[in-house]
Amino acid sequence: MAVNCANLLPIELCEKVKNSKVFMVGAGGIGCELLKNLVLVGFPYIEIIDLDTIDVSNLNRQFLFRKEHVGKSKAEVAKESALKFNPNTKIIAYQDNIKSDKYDVDFFKKFNVVLNALDNRSARVHVNRMCLAADIPLIESGTAGYLGQTTLIKKNLSECYECTPVSGQKSYPGCTIRNTPSELIHCIVWSKHLFNQLFGEADADEEVSPDTEDPEAAGDAGEAVQKNLDFERVSTRKWAKENDYNNLKVFTKLFHDDIKYLLSMTNLWTERTPPKPLVISELSDTQDNQSNVIPDQRIWSIKECFDKFSNCLKELKERIKDDENLIWDKDDDIAMDFVTSAACIRAHIFGIQRKSRFDIKSMAGNIIPAIASTNAIIAGLVVLQALKVVQGRAKDCRHIYMNLMPNPRNKLPVSGYLCEPNPKCYVCSKSSIAVRLAPENITLRFFQDKILKSSLGMVAPDVELDDGKGTIVISSEEGETTENMDKTLSEFSIKNGSQLKCDDFLQRYEVTIVIAEASKEDLPEDQEFEVVGDIEQLKSKKDDVQNENGKNGKNEKDDTDFLEVISDEEMEVSEPKKRKAEDDNEVPSGKRLKTDAIEIE
Amino acid sequence: MSGSISPSKPVDKSNKYDRQLRLWGDQGQSKLEKARICLINATATGTEILKNLILPGIGSFTIVDGHKVSGEDVGNNFFLEKSAIGKNRGQVACELLQELNDDVLANYVDENVEDLFQVNAKFFSTFSVVIATDLNERTLLQISSYLWSCKVPFLHCVSYGFIGYMRIAMPVHTVIESHPDNALDDLRLDRPFKEFRDLCDACDLGKMNVKEHSHIPWLIVVYKYLEIWKNKNNGNIPKTYQEKQAFKKLIRSGILLNKDGNPEMEENFDEAIRNVNTALSATKMPDDVKHIFEDPECINIVNKSEPFWILVRAVKEFVKSEGEGFLPLRGVIPDMTSDSDSFIRLQQVYRNKASKDVEAVNKHLQNVVSNLSIPCIISEAEIRNFCKNAAFLRVLRYRSISEEYNSPSTIFLRQMAQRVEDEDDDLVYYVLLRAVSRYYLCYSNYPGIYEVEDDIMNLKSCVTRLLQQWKITCSIKDDLIHEFCRYGACEMHSIAAYMGGCAAQEAIKLITGQYVPFNNTFIYNAMKQTSVTVEL
Ligand SMILES: [Zn+2]
Repeated sequence: MAVNCANLLPIELCEKVKNSKVFMVGAGGIGCELLKNLVLVGFPYIEIIDLDTIDVSNLNRQFLFRKEHVGKSKAEVAKESALKFNPNTKIIAYQDNIKSDKYDVDFFKKFNVVLNALDNRSARVHVNRMCLAADIPLIESGTAGYLGQTTLIKKNLSECYECTPVSGQKSYPGCTIRNTPSELIHCIVWSKHLFNQLFGEADADEEVSPDTEDPEAAGDAGEAVQKNLDFERVSTRKWAKENDYNNLKVFTKLFHDDIKYLLSMTNLWTERTPPKPLVISELSDTQDNQSNVIPDQRIWSIKECFDKFSNCLKELKERIKDDENLIWDKDDDIAMDFVTSAACIRAHIFGIQRKSRFDIKSMAGNIIPAIASTNAIIAGLVVLQALKVVQGRAKDCRHIYMNLMPNPRNKLPVSGYLCEPNPKCYVCSKSSIAVRLAPENITLRFFQDKILKSSLGMVAPDVELDDGKGTIVISSEEGETTENMDKTLSEFSIKNGSQLKCDDFLQRYEVTIVIAEASKEDLPEDQEFEVVGDIEQLKSKKDDVQNENGKNGKNEKDDTDFLEVISDEEMEVSEPKKRKAEDDNEVPSGKRLKTDAIEIE
Repeated sequence: MSGSISPSKPVDKSNKYDRQLRLWGDQGQSKLEKARICLINATATGTEILKNLILPGIGSFTIVDGHKVSGEDVGNNFFLEKSAIGKNRGQVACELLQELNDDVLANYVDENVEDLFQVNAKFFSTFSVVIATDLNERTLLQISSYLWSCKVPFLHCVSYGFIGYMRIAMPVHTVIESHPDNALDDLRLDRPFKEFRDLCDACDLGKMNVKEHSHIPWLIVVYKYLEIWKNKNNGNIPKTYQEKQAFKKLIRSGILLNKDGNPEMEENFDEAIRNVNTALSATKMPDDVKHIFEDPECINIVNKSEPFWILVRAVKEFVKSEGEGFLPLRGVIPDMTSDSDSFIRLQQVYRNKASKDVEAVNKHLQNVVSNLSIPCIISEAEIRNFCKNAAFLRVLRYRSISEEYNSPSTIFLRQMAQRVEDEDDDLVYYVLLRAVSRYYLCYSNYPGIYEVEDDIMNLKSCVTRLLQQWKITCSIKDDLIHEFCRYGACEMHSIAAYMGGCAAQEAIKLITGQYVPFNNTFIYNAMKQTSVTVEL
């Protein structure tokens, strides 16, 4: 019954599609569907990037992959599978991190549209900024179970990914994790830290031994101090290695000796139920009545936990023979068994209700359910949005949510007009901007005087590095950073893709500068740098800003901005550093999923 | 001719299906793995639907398709390769789809659905769900009526140009686990049961030190202060806003003071105050469930009654007797600040009461069953699950496609005239799709494939005749008729992909008996990204 479909798309649109270049970020659940759709609609040039390799748990929805592909690059296999269908499509695949400096503003600029098919916030934030900086339309999408959504992000036209600040990820105080857990999640977090301490990259923020500096325990570190200090001198991993990861020794240290030590910090237990140190010979094998429960959903007895724990130690020890660092992964059975058993033992010690491996996996891995059909729905919508963008009708794109069941107005998918950019958004409205320069040639003084002050019209900027520590390289306070001024940007590891948060307190003006490396030859003649983007808009004169503020009576607005910046940064920092440990969050942000408020009909 | 392709060795299912088990659980998964799906016509929409069902692991699928693969098929269908042109479409799609999941048994029948139906209608009655794409009106009515009589769920799905259409038809669909969005906890603080009262009474807030006092679960705290309140207020619980505010104040007054006279940090009391509004909402019989109790299928239990209705009846009897007008206790309490012993004790009290209710329901069930002298095939786990979800039961009654075609609802026709002229209402596309099927019956092809100009006139007259038949007067814009002719029955891949996802979601809801499917028609407009569901 079908006829040639080209006649459904206006000829000029077909031409535009044929001359377009698409960049797809992520080749997972939505990515597989999307790639298929792009190829079938006739997009001739597609680049895809994904760092991940294929896991068994992907196979229930990522249909370009088969079980024989497990362990291979998602981007590569997706490319091969799609090419089988249409060998004429030009597909370039990268198994790489999108945050790598290889994918800079110039890289993004060569595309007509970027399609996000990501599973974590931190990469979404990055691509959002890159697309805003390069002024390339970005189609964002995400799913969670039966729910899903997609929208268009385009500079000056619609809300960007960071226009609505999200409430930060829950993080737990170190002393709760190390000394006084009161919920199962505290024990799970502790167990993940333990995994990293024993087999992964040690992180000072992930200590698992009792925290003697707990303010609550002030001044009462007990008699065990001396013994514990001996232990502290060597790293947990080194200690375990010296003891050959002996299960009895590790267990006794973690679940008996350390607990005894905690008990000696008596101030902690005046208003809490004290923990009970465990002795291996006395482990209980009693289980709740759990008939007709499938194995994964059964709660393990403490004896069973010990056996699993011992077994995991043995297996994991084998894996790090060559001093490799393991990365915890919820879909790695042994790693998951390790965290389940350790968390349950610790929960038992602190009188906290234990849960099954199935439930602990959800909590430890932040798992969001994912099914093929929802990904198919959203990917279908993404391509329709992409067609509009290519056609130059970006404003006709919609923000679309897929509902669980028809809403009271009988809509199953609910669509709304794109929201305008949030004027308070420091990323899209306060603007980010790309500056092309050669970091090894530019001193901070030059950067401050010529770029920030002359070109961008700032008066007294503060500049903060995105190195995770928030190092201030330029301060508006007299004399604070004088010693930095003659150093080059390279000396601060500022390179391609680096983002400098530039803040002018006097003008209440803030901008993020994305460095785009460019050699002398690449820059306009006799120029040390080039600012890419709307300078006119950015060049804010002091009195203009004052007028604006005075006129609107919105002086307090900028304080709010400032707070938003802080909270966003905090969240970024509190995110797990290792990629595998990141949220499996396929939804850009949960905040909008249940909203019908912006429905148009 | 027919064939089947058998699966090879499976990978670990709990890992492969992990992300979906967290949505519909083992019960849903096991129903899915038993499901036998029939797809009529391996169009792009059809194979997309199947793809989304094969990946999560249905038991088996069978494609019925007598068409040969054409060049257009290859252009919009991912599961048909160029080399397959000229071969049977069902067979080729079957082979490629099978590759998606080793656990799924794949079959195809190389016959036109019309022919197969004439010689062996019964064939279609053996499936859990029959999904059809690209059916002409005559066959559609025949097959859907037959499946209706066999109570086999039928899903009809169409991608026509920029328009998508879906229709579910089955006499009745029952849902035990509807997964409501924001269900209140079933705490019964307004009518505390004896075991809970005993637990609370055994605990004397006045004789506790700060540590014990701050670890009493908030449910008990609310109960305690509710008793005090009731004593002062003729046994009534706080109802109005003012009363609830006063009650919160009463609870706050119970927070212990330290030696400096400042209130201690008692998180459990904070929780109690925070939860007053929801915790004091009156326990009641949900209207939906009351309605279900009055359903003839519940009142007239017979040998052939479905387990669902036998269970409904047993719960109804429970409500009349032991339940004193209320449903069995759900037996689940939320997490709360507490020491672990008190929490477990409290949890146990709720669980035990729920178990007791389940037992009572079971007794009624045995009565119902023995009166009919049929063996009871309902397990205790099923009874428990049913009782736990009793407040959220849903029964959806559908209209058949024959009814829709032969006796359109008068209420609907009354609205139709007005809605069809509303530019923002996608219902007009229903009229156009119906007109297109009518057109196909008359001319044996779709409008716009050959002579667009003539076809426009003919399609227009189909629309007119349809509106006359419905006895409604309204006009449909020429633009829309032109647009529909321009589509030329084209199936665009991204629309097919989208509709394939939507249809698969609904099929999964039907198969697993979880979540609530729509009733009964869904229309999607990809040009404006709008949609509507409507009961026809
Ligand atoms: Zn923004």
